[in-house]
Amino acid sequence: MSQNNDKDYDVCVIGSGAGAGPIISELSKAGKSVLVLEKGPWLHNNDFFKDELACCRRSTYTPNLQDEQHVLEEAGYDGQWFSEATSESGWDFWNGNVVGGASNFMSGFFYRLKPQDFRLKSEFGEIAGANVVDWPISYDEMEPYYSKVETEVGISGRVVPHKFQEPRSRKDFPYPPTLEHPVVKVIDNACEQLNLSSLPTPRAILSRPANGRNSCEYSGYCGSYGCSSGAKGSSRAALIDQAVASGHCELRDNSHVYKLKSDASGKVVEALYYDAENKPRAVSAKLFVVACHAIETSRLLLASTGPKHPQGLGNNYQQLGKNLLFSAGGSGTGEFHYDQLDRLDVDGISADALKTRGPFVNRGLQDWYFIDDKAFGGPAKGGLIDFLLRHPNPISRAMSVRWNSDGNLNWGDALKQDLKSTFTSAQDLRFEVFNDWLPTDDCFVSLDKNVKDKYGHAVAKVRLGYHPHDLKVGQFLADKAEMVLQQMGAKNIRSSVSGSPPANLVAGGCRFGNDIKSSVLDANCRVHDVDNLFVTDGSFMPTGGSVPYTWTIYANSFRVADKIKTLL
Amino acid sequence: MNKPDHSRLQLNRRQFVQLISSSALLAPGLAWGDALAQANAQQANRDPAYQNLQDPWLTIDEVQQHLLPADEQSPGAEQIGALRFLQTMLQAQNDPQESEFIQQGVVWLNQLANKQYQADFKQLEVAQREKLLRQIETSDAGARWLSSLMTYLIEALLSDPVYGGNKNRRGWQWLEHIPGFPTPSADKVYFKLGAHASSRRRTKA
Repeated sequence: MSQNNDKDYDVCVIGSGAGAGPIISELSKAGKSVLVLEKGPWLHNNDFFKDELACCRRSTYTPNLQDEQHVLEEAGYDGQWFSEATSESGWDFWNGNVVGGASNFMSGFFYRLKPQDFRLKSEFGEIAGANVVDWPISYDEMEPYYSKVETEVGISGRVVPHKFQEPRSRKDFPYPPTLEHPVVKVIDNACEQLNLSSLPTPRAILSRPANGRNSCEYSGYCGSYGCSSGAKGSSRAALIDQAVASGHCELRDNSHVYKLKSDASGKVVEALYYDAENKPRAVSAKLFVVACHAIETSRLLLASTGPKHPQGLGNNYQQLGKNLLFSAGGSGTGEFHYDQLDRLDVDGISADALKTRGPFVNRGLQDWYFIDDKAFGGPAKGGLIDFLLRHPNPISRAMSVRWNSDGNLNWGDALKQDLKSTFTSAQDLRFEVFNDWLPTDDCFVSLDKNVKDKYGHAVAKVRLGYHPHDLKVGQFLADKAEMVLQQMGAKNIRSSVSGSPPANLVAGGCRFGNDIKSSVLDANCRVHDVDNLFVTDGSFMPTGGSVPYTWTIYANSFRVADKIKTLL
Repeated sequence: MNKPDHSRLQLNRRQFVQLISSSALLAPGLAWGDALAQANAQQANRDPAYQNLQDPWLTIDEVQQHLLPADEQSPGAEQIGALRFLQTMLQAQNDPQESEFIQQGVVWLNQLANKQYQADFKQLEVAQREKLLRQIETSDAGARWLSSLMTYLIEALLSDPVYGGNKNRRGWQWLEHIPGFPTPSADKVYFKLGAHASSRRRTKA
């Protein structure tokens, strides 16, 4: 039996990442009693170091795959689907399972969606084989909350007008841009010659101290690493720490929720969870908010069967877990060899300047966010190109030369020569392409019938199908990005566009909409037929846009918090 | 935001261990303990941490030095403390199968060395060592054993010195690598934080 000796909270929030933080913060500020259940541990700024083993080579912030994992389903050549448990494949699909969630480990490059992203079907029409729909709300309804994220989470940047600039209620960002790497001058020059708008990248990273948080220390290791200064706008550093300090929020870490129990009326009455000592416990609240990252949110609701919800909470029309989204696109690289810098086709940059570590490569291109090109086939939704240096992680860099050209292990003097060369002869400038991952019937979450977690509960099974249109758009954008690298004088330029999903950019599964038969949530992100249950992570998104999701997730969570305040 | 790489081609370690225990890894004719029983008298003038090494660690050290040799310009396995790093990791990971697998490889290597050269690996010339290691690389299990050692070696070369490798930051210095900050103190190494710390607590419950 689960123990339930707790008081009745106003709100119980499951998860503590970007989708949860604004709810936790806003409702605590409003004086409501808030309980947060987070499955991972509570690490603080002084627990985070620039330690590649901790961040990137061991499961420090995520479960051991033997204990908790996923089953991933990919298309084979003959149209069959093949599934494999991640403990077998080694393809770890977790993000950050700690207080603050994956927002601890982002590099904080933040973009808003554009008004057209809220009405993709109306703007560009149907695409056969894709489930494109308009959102039930407009950009105008989200805009005040995008703006709120700029101050509450803290976004540094500089607005530069361009042809696809989305409307803004605030003239410029509340914090000036973070420091910029010398290579941005070379990017800017190349873009100017190509008549492109090189845009400063907004970052959810403080460029000056605010609200008890330090400004960025420019160590040069940001993405994948937890922030030790508090400058990164994680849900933990920016929102939760203050909510807990207010006295209205109680946070229980190492608390893994496995089921939401609903009563005969269909309402949620208790969250059932395992505490840090593995003991089953239960807690009740007036209202429940689920935000534990898209895949796990769908999994929890699917597992939460009840008298009125025999197939899981919010699944009476078989929409739950469907239309999962990743980010489509790919990435590419160009090399700047230190001994050839005098041959750069643009204003010179010294090797020392290129080697600079610390400041950000704050540049992106939105010239093709919408495509109107006969070569492509007429008007279409395009996407974003973002520039960055190769990640400075040395072990991962060294691992890139561990095989020789014959496919054998590289060792001895040959390995040492390759290591020396890969580390000291060139700087790699990379780009990433972000375009819409079209929602399809082949990308969804279900419960696996065989594989269980260490508690004995079915793990999430994820089918990873993609739409071929995603690759067409991605390739179009990658070609444009290569053109910029070419203009910069980079060597050995190459790129790769594929349908392989990035596990750190996930949304959908509980799309919001006005019709219960085609959506899980209503326009306010309340589960259609469960009065006291909201979902506020990226699950709500019916289409994903062509930028990282985090700013939109934060903004939507602030929006839903305002709706919930009127109910309590 | 970096879209992370993932390596799906890699067999996981348990599959690997199955390979080892089931396949022709153990050549016929030599019992498990034979190689281990052979004493290792050869102790050159070494870093104190490496003195009095016994097999399997003695041979693992020799293999590591073959895979990452020292030269005038750059450190090798011993100079960066690769063996100490490996031992720290095996202890921290608290995974008997992984540890057994690494050690078992030495038995297999010495059996093959004795079959072909009537000597243990540690007694072979550099050219013979190279030939033998390239030979075991052609079997799945041998390739995985070497691949595992290489991974630990590269980690030893370039991870934070708090883990026992990259001694005096020599790996970083050699490759002109600029590390980030802050770096971890001994009480904040990865296996004392986060999932590792809490999963240990949970297994006791």
